[in-house]
Amino acid sequence: MSESASSHDSPPAPTIAGDSQTTAANESDTNAKCQTAIQSLSSIVTTTTIPSTISLLLDDSAVSAAISSLLQRPDSGSGDNNLCRWLYDTFQSTEPSLHLLVLRFVPLIAGLYLSRVPLRQPQAGFEAVLLALYAHETTSRADQAVTVNIPDLSHPSIYHESKGPAKNNSTCLNIAVVSSTLDPHGTIRESTRRARIVGVALELYYSEIARMPRESKLDFCGACEKWAGQNGETRAGVVPEEEESVAVARSEKDGGRIPLPWELVQPMMRILGHCLMGMKVEDREVKEAASKACQSLYLRALHDINPKAILAAGSLLRLREMALDPKNQIDHTEISNDNVLSV
Amino acid sequence: MLENQSKELSENREDEITRQLCANGLFMKTTEVEAKLDEGNIQEAESSLREGLSLNSEEARALLGRLEYQRGNLEGALRLFEGIDLQAEIQRLQASAPPPEKPVTKKNRPREPQQQPVPQHAASLVLEAIYLKAKSLQKLGRTTEAARECKSVLDSVEKVFQQGISDAQVDTRLQETVSHAVELLPALFKDSGDYQEAISAYRRALLSQWNLDNDSCARIQKDFAVFLLHSGVEASPPSLASQVEGSYTPRNNLEEAILLLMILIKKFNSGKAKWDPSVIEHITFALSLCSQTSVVAKQLEEVMPGVFTRVERWNSLALCYSAAGQTSAAVNLLRKSLHKHEQPDDLVALLLAAKLCSEEPSLAAEGAGYAERGVKNAQGMDEHLKGVGLRMLGLCLGKQAKVPTSDFERSRLQSESLKALDGAIAFEHNNPDLIFELGVQYAEQRNLKAASRYAKEFIDATGGSVLKGWRFLALVLSAQQRFSEAEVVTDAALDETAKWDQGPLLRLKAKLKISQSNPTEAVETYRYLLALVQAQRKSFGPLRTLSQMEEDKVNEFEVWHGLAYLYSSLSHWNDVEVCRMWEGRKEFKPALAAFLDGLLLDESSVPCKVAVGALLCERGKEYQPTLPVARSLLSDALRIDPTNRKAWYYLGMVHKHDGRITDATDCFQAASMLEESDPIESFSTIL
Repeated sequence: MSESASSHDSPPAPTIAGDSQTTAANESDTNAKCQTAIQSLSSIVTTTTIPSTISLLLDDSAVSAAISSLLQRPDSGSGDNNLCRWLYDTFQSTEPSLHLLVLRFVPLIAGLYLSRVPLRQPQAGFEAVLLALYAHETTSRADQAVTVNIPDLSHPSIYHESKGPAKNNSTCLNIAVVSSTLDPHGTIRESTRRARIVGVALELYYSEIARMPRESKLDFCGACEKWAGQNGETRAGVVPEEEESVAVARSEKDGGRIPLPWELVQPMMRILGHCLMGMKVEDREVKEAASKACQSLYLRALHDINPKAILAAGSLLRLREMALDPKNQIDHTEISNDNVLSV
Repeated sequence: MLENQSKELSENREDEITRQLCANGLFMKTTEVEAKLDEGNIQEAESSLREGLSLNSEEARALLGRLEYQRGNLEGALRLFEGIDLQAEIQRLQASAPPPEKPVTKKNRPREPQQQPVPQHAASLVLEAIYLKAKSLQKLGRTTEAARECKSVLDSVEKVFQQGISDAQVDTRLQETVSHAVELLPALFKDSGDYQEAISAYRRALLSQWNLDNDSCARIQKDFAVFLLHSGVEASPPSLASQVEGSYTPRNNLEEAILLLMILIKKFNSGKAKWDPSVIEHITFALSLCSQTSVVAKQLEEVMPGVFTRVERWNSLALCYSAAGQTSAAVNLLRKSLHKHEQPDDLVALLLAAKLCSEEPSLAAEGAGYAERGVKNAQGMDEHLKGVGLRMLGLCLGKQAKVPTSDFERSRLQSESLKALDGAIAFEHNNPDLIFELGVQYAEQRNLKAASRYAKEFIDATGGSVLKGWRFLALVLSAQQRFSEAEVVTDAALDETAKWDQGPLLRLKAKLKISQSNPTEAVETYRYLLALVQAQRKSFGPLRTLSQMEEDKVNEFEVWHGLAYLYSSLSHWNDVEVCRMWEGRKEFKPALAAFLDGLLLDESSVPCKVAVGALLCERGKEYQPTLPVARSLLSDALRIDPTNRKAWYYLGMVHKHDGRITDATDCFQAASMLEESDPIESFSTIL
């Protein structure tokens, strides 16, 4: 995890072997785990061939698409769902590359899970996966909150000097909590902690976001729009039917609008910030999806009159606008285009 | 190499339309060599330059390379630059540099310009050639190679000018190349996906002395901050070498980004760098993520006047303050910005003002005004916000109904509040918060059937994820005297709630047990609650936040009090003594003082009035003179909240002590009637 928690545990382990400390035994263990995961996946995903190594599997868009379409089936989150079990087992293997494989589907799982909650479907499968992520984070953070110091510029820092007399150390820093301490949840699934559990899964997803494929980010942007529920601003004049299928009709009409407490909004904003401004390769499709998601969240924040979310989403939208303005696209590293060239 | 070449070149007044090549005081039209270059005759182009401008081969190639680069012929430029052995040139320069042991201080600065330690012009030529090679590679999409070349520019500068160049001597063109390279390098590493190298390039740019101008330094600081915030790659802390004792070193990405952005804003404010509007947005984003909007407000307040219009500034500040919980500061700012001479129709400001006012009975009437204006202004593109305006109107009117001037006024406000909320639900049928608020409004008016319908709908819509929904349903059921059902709901809620958050539910459960005449189980529940509250008190550091329960913590004193009451009704007198000991504060005088303080703070607080009235009334048994005070306090409380059962009860007691038996009977009757529709805890505790 990012921020201060990272100072306690080791930095993200490199996926590629090359670590001199890795013993042969460990390596074969890793291989065995990966092979098990691949084999059990091939019994679930039958529509396409599964690559033989994990690194290939991570980048295989056909397999990802197949898994995604399985996840999107109406009964996909149930406790006896093979795919959910596979995701759960795969994540439990403590193998970093296998973790990435599972995290790639977090946007889809979280999106479907939270939007399906009001439908009262059994979702023990999704819950198991999300709780596994939560438990993993709880352990790795070791009962520490994720905090940041808000610097005080009257003290000098590595990037600036300060004229003021060096006061009694820089202890009077303002500490801000980015993610509060996690309580272990074990097997209990309390619905009032649902948002926090999903929020932590998103925090974990964000910590690996640089390694997530673009399709996964697109899934996430889609989930944000659904959760915000502001896409149908043009109100349908149809009177809702009073049938048994009210719940289903509602889910389709409202597109899965969910309560959005800060513990969800905060990681959502960070992920969207990455999609808008932090991608390695310029990707217009992801940027546009993220800016649409941001727009929806901004509207939702207005509807909730949630000032913090208005500030965060509003800033992202204005930054997006500025980036699109040709006035701000000057390359400052370009040499002056003189008409007289001299030595 | 080229020391003799010192002609001032900028003075020529040639025709600007055609490009010219110039060296050693000689000029040449570019068209002459361009034709040769286009034919691929590099050799010929080079020799014509050497003849025409009396240059050596390296110089001619460098000049041609620049010409090709400027013409956009990148492949050609690259071919030319590759024809120069740049590394050999660098090594030659390095050899000519004096040993680094002699630092240039003010005292032994060279007296004559010809003692200049390194031939800057030669260095400039070579470094520019390498830089343009990097730029060409970048534009051709070969970023990894580009980064390597660009890095070699900086490495060479460090090697050649080991003791630095003093400001007076620096060649402007050399400085330009160096500044460009410093700025380009991290961007190249970033584009090539080498994030760790990008981070060290950024830090190298900012922590070493490159004599950058303020604007390019500001740009690099901003780019690095954006990279830290959004790349999703955790940077390792800065190397120990760059850390100075006593100065602050950020530990992680967010800290480093916030530090850089704050420094940037300080630079803008002191006029040291050109204002960049994106910086304030970046810092708003970063600090909002840490819930430090009051720090954002501080930054906004320090921004130079003229950057934002005053209404913009007020509205942004109001958002920051309200997010930081500083409601009255936010309301004051919004009053200014919504003044009729400013922007009275700003929809977001109106809605925010209405929301903030709806939380405070004394501001509710003002809030209703803002909400009405909001509804009126929600048109066209903003029509979707009409529902929000109506909802705020309903909430403000509902709050206003708590401080009415008359019974008639109260029922008018209550029914208008319901009307507004009903209107809102037509716009936002899928908004669970609205459903909840509508339910509470019905409950306040004792329309318990409607209230319980909405309570159930709310739990369905939120999937039971919001604690207040469960509590509300339990309270409505308790008001309907359906205690066992209320207990079932409370138990269900307990199952859905993490241990730490169970306090209010346990308190509710204990009270329900008492209502069902099951004191032993109530005692058990209270004991469990007590253990929880005490554990919480011990383990909650400042960094542990309670997600849903922040406003509604169970007070330990309250639990002891509940237990004492229970034991006394069970006649377990020993246990009562233990509780009383703990209760300590139940002493008459301090308790009275505390409640009076409460009254001073909030003179319309019904619970305080009732509590003081009750205390005075209890005492009145022996001390008659306090009874009239108790009577007026209780009557006052009833004027504000006519459904307050306790107030009716104690007013009855006052009448009884005074000997007015008929009045007492009436009061007791009212109290007992209300008991039949009274929730076990007041509805207003949950909204």
